[in-house]
Amino acid sequence: MDIELKQAEIIDQLVRRASTCNGESLVPIIIDATSHPSLFAFSEILALPNVAQLEGTSNAVYLDVLRLFAYGTWGDYKCNASRIPQLSPDQILKLKQLTVLHLLSQTRYCIVLPYDALMVELDVTNVRELEDFLINDCMYAGIVRGKLDQLKRCFEVPFAAGRDLRPGQLGNMLHTLSNWLNTSENLLVSIQDKIKWADNMSEMDKKHRKETEGVEELKKSLSMKGDIGGRGHNEMFGEPSGVMNYQEDGMRPKR
Amino acid sequence: MAPSSSSGLTFKLHPLVMLNISDHFTRVKTQLNPPPSSCANGNNPSSGDATFPQDFRVYGCVIGAQKGRTVEIFNSFELLLDPTTDTLDRSFLEKKQELYQKVFPNFYVLGWYSTGSEANESDMSIHKALMDINESPVYVLLNPAINHAQKDLPVTIYESEFHVIDGIPQSIFVNASYSIETVEAERISVDHVAHLKPSDGGSAATQLAAHLTGIHSAIKMLNSRIRVLHQYLGAMQKGDIPCDNSLLRQAASLLRSLPAAQSEKFNEDFLMEYNDKLLMSYLAMITNCTSNMNEVVDKFNTAYERNSRRGGSRTPFM
Repeated sequence: MDIELKQAEIIDQLVRRASTCNGESLVPIIIDATSHPSLFAFSEILALPNVAQLEGTSNAVYLDVLRLFAYGTWGDYKCNASRIPQLSPDQILKLKQLTVLHLLSQTRYCIVLPYDALMVELDVTNVRELEDFLINDCMYAGIVRGKLDQLKRCFEVPFAAGRDLRPGQLGNMLHTLSNWLNTSENLLVSIQDKIKWADNMSEMDKKHRKETEGVEELKKSLSMKGDIGGRGHNEMFGEPSGVMNYQEDGMRPKR
Repeated sequence: MAPSSSSGLTFKLHPLVMLNISDHFTRVKTQLNPPPSSCANGNNPSSGDATFPQDFRVYGCVIGAQKGRTVEIFNSFELLLDPTTDTLDRSFLEKKQELYQKVFPNFYVLGWYSTGSEANESDMSIHKALMDINESPVYVLLNPAINHAQKDLPVTIYESEFHVIDGIPQSIFVNASYSIETVEAERISVDHVAHLKPSDGGSAATQLAAHLTGIHSAIKMLNSRIRVLHQYLGAMQKGDIPCDNSLLRQAASLLRSLPAAQSEKFNEDFLMEYNDKLLMSYLAMITNCTSNMNEVVDKFNTAYERNSRRGGSRTPFM
């Protein structure tokens, strides 16, 4: 996952800077982090004890900003615009990128995002702007890989970078993983059953063939004897294939 | 015996070489452990008695081309080790080399190969003997022991380097890293070998079974990896291991797209393809049945034809 690799260095740097500072001096670091063009992960910084101490102080708003960037979306920002300090254009851009990632992590949109939903969430009015944003700021930044389908007006995304996890989300992830595990195990069992079934079928087929071939052999030996002998060899052996015994009938007129 | 090589050469190994070596080993092994008739001396010299069939080694030469710092090993051929002098059969090597030179003018003897689990001291003497053909030969070692837990190929490449050990400069084997390189044609043949079906695999059932077995092993690998991830995340949740946020994010990005095959479009396409296949097999069955029916009718007609000519008491079926 290259986006993680790209971020790892930046995260390291910022964490080191932040751990040495305290209080007021953390604010520019937070602003730096939230405007950095390649940084989309904030939980490491949030986890630092100095940052947590900002809670309740006059700079608590910056802690909120950090939390907004880690877990929230553009919509959240608009609702709480009064409490949170004005964001710079860089930060706004980043918040919108994070909003796209957030939409993608919702289950109703898992791979296919309709343009309409995107336009509502991002406050964008025309498709051209939306597509420009998606191409320049999401795909070239590497956080998202996908295809734009203009006819169906949707954005198909097989890969998107992950956002920071809220504390409760790990449970969901474990649930999904265990479902996946169960499905694959069931699949393994059913494949094994199919293999056994295929082998059984081929066994039965072979047996059937041997039986019918046995009958063919018998017929041939009968026809040979029939030419030499006479009526004595008129016995019909039970033939499961039900094919007429040509020789037998050919002899009837002689009676 | 494997500090890393410092010569700066990059090695590229072709799958053909590995197939050759393993084929050589297998052939010799089956010649030694045969139904108790046949050859007492296969073409392997060292301890080749039937009593210790596991301990023998096979030897050979590898050839290829070297361009600058890249050494590419293309092919190989077998050689006999002379048990008395413990050297490789020189005249044979030279003859073979001449022949190969005619067909592949660019290829030179790059080194030699053997089978075994690790490089010995005795190998060094063979290595030194080859040094007059190539100043720095390579030693390719294939480990024939089947280890199911091992994920990589059991092939190691050694170079020799002079190191000062206990005050005496000696040459020892050092491990060199390599990558696998293949050409398109080679890929086809390797794929073919990898998917060998049993020789009477003409019937549909055995082909189906073989195909399903392949899928089964692939899914089993997937399953083990999912399980590892599951346990890891579980431990993280319980707090047994410290949270690694970067990993959590990557896992979130992976799990985001599950279940991957649930959309409407997938169901439609899947059902359509399923129906198409069913229709095709139905069509084939119907054709089969009509041809059988046709045969039955013909036989019936032939059977009752004479009677109708004689008396007309029975009319033909059709």
